[in-house]
Amino acid sequence: MTGSRAGEGPGLLVARGLQKSFGDVTVFDALDLQVAAGQTLALLGPSGCGKSTLLRVLAGFEPFDAGTVTLDGRPVEGPSPERGMVAQAGTLFPWLTVRENVGFGPRDRGTHDVDRMVADLLAMTGLADFADALPRHLSGGMRQRASLAQVLANQPPVLLLDEPFGALDAQTRLRMHGWVRGVLAERPTSTVLVTHDVDEALLLGDRLGLLSPRPCRVVSERELPFGADRGRDTLSEPDFVSLKATVLDEVMTA
Amino acid sequence: MRASTGRSDDEAQSELTDDAAAQLAAVSGVITHPATARSGRRRRRRLLGLVAPLVLLAGWQMAWSLDWRPKTILPSPHQVLSAADAFFFGHNSVTLSGIVPYKGAAWLHISASLERCITTWVLAVVVGLVLGLGLGLSRWVADVLEPMTNALRAVPLFAWLPLAAVQFGIGEPPARTLIFIGALWPVVVATTDSVARVPRAYVETARMLGTPRARLWRRVYLPSALPEIITGLRLSLTLAWTCVIVGELLGVTRGIGAMMIAAREAGATEQIIVGVILFALIGYAGDRLLRMLARPLVRWSDA
Repeated sequence: MTGSRAGEGPGLLVARGLQKSFGDVTVFDALDLQVAAGQTLALLGPSGCGKSTLLRVLAGFEPFDAGTVTLDGRPVEGPSPERGMVAQAGTLFPWLTVRENVGFGPRDRGTHDVDRMVADLLAMTGLADFADALPRHLSGGMRQRASLAQVLANQPPVLLLDEPFGALDAQTRLRMHGWVRGVLAERPTSTVLVTHDVDEALLLGDRLGLLSPRPCRVVSERELPFGADRGRDTLSEPDFVSLKATVLDEVMTA
Repeated sequence: MRASTGRSDDEAQSELTDDAAAQLAAVSGVITHPATARSGRRRRRRLLGLVAPLVLLAGWQMAWSLDWRPKTILPSPHQVLSAADAFFFGHNSVTLSGIVPYKGAAWLHISASLERCITTWVLAVVVGLVLGLGLGLSRWVADVLEPMTNALRAVPLFAWLPLAAVQFGIGEPPARTLIFIGALWPVVVATTDSVARVPRAYVETARMLGTPRARLWRRVYLPSALPEIITGLRLSLTLAWTCVIVGELLGVTRGIGAMMIAAREAGATEQIIVGVILFALIGYAGDRLLRMLARPLVRWSDA
């Protein structure tokens, strides 16, 4: 299933020879990374290795010292609605209702028919009943779904997820995994998911990359063999269990 | 465990209903029991707030009855009450301009003071917001203007009074100048500080969602800073109201302050006290009103 989705349409995200340091600390030197159109690349790495910085660079929030980042051949410069990013804290503006939050991007970009699109997204995220609620009235899981809806409203070819479910409890996180898989199947989006949760990486990724400690590099990359219908039960399948053990070994020794 | 096919959708669905059940109550606020308890507590707190004024009133009455102060200097609460009665409901017979009337002149003076305060305050708020946004958002504007505004802010408010009087003579212009200066700084300071402290994540998110740079102030900075700005507006209104009395020292004939000055010259102490009470009540009501009007705008930040 990996191949069927990948490679079509826009969304080829490539980083080559990326270098960045904060003062004396080299976060990455010569980092290479490639995400095929519509593919999900899950990146696992030890904390403090520069995962978040990497995503912030890809999002255009953070300048880098050398190298190139391109989307479909065009260089990435600054933040853009083409590259939507959701981090652990979510993206919602606390002073706007869920509806206003989800419509924020399309409205500012002058998109037509914002209301209908927002209604569709609210239905997809199961937030229709909470359209007029403020973010602080939502549960953690609902907030993250609303954040994703807000970012997806721009129909970005690239989605950057920085531990988006890190603040959620285990059950909610598991439900979110199922939901995100559904959303990404419906709207193929090149996705970079950064996490330190091995289950999450294996459940959501089409490919899995392991990051080394600083300076951060993608040290090994593999296709993930699991099908499109991964769910909670996948967690107990023998293939999954043995791959998880292998990956954990690699992470611990990296 | 059943077959894994199709599980993920079911699970997403089940979370929705769980969440919905748990959260709908919170959103619609259908919690009845604590509400009644809360209203009882609020009533008790209101009653407690009346204790201090009543003690003050009793002390005043006692001071008058026991002649702690000469009766010409300290009128009784009852005398003040009848002065207030005449002030509000008496027949106004003074028609000469230049003479400050009391009888039946309450609305004349109150409306003059309110108009002076509110129009000048609104002007100060507009100027203060523009100045504050500029100082808070633009490095360049801050570099050019901040040293000067900080220095001017350090001038004690009433030190402007002699200068305003020399420049504008007496009457409306110096009064309004003083109110304007007094009302301006709290707005400038609150706006500058709060806008400069807007979390960078909000700005990044808006940029990522496609908000043009030129619209950021309206879409992110202003709404995010609004709770603090409104605190500044309240302080500003209080200061404007304070400046009204001082401004009205400068030769205006209509206004609560003007009425009090005239009352002092006429030795009508009870009339002065009527003015003090009016200032207190109107100032308090104004602040409450502003807070009430602003509440829907800042509900999102309520603790």
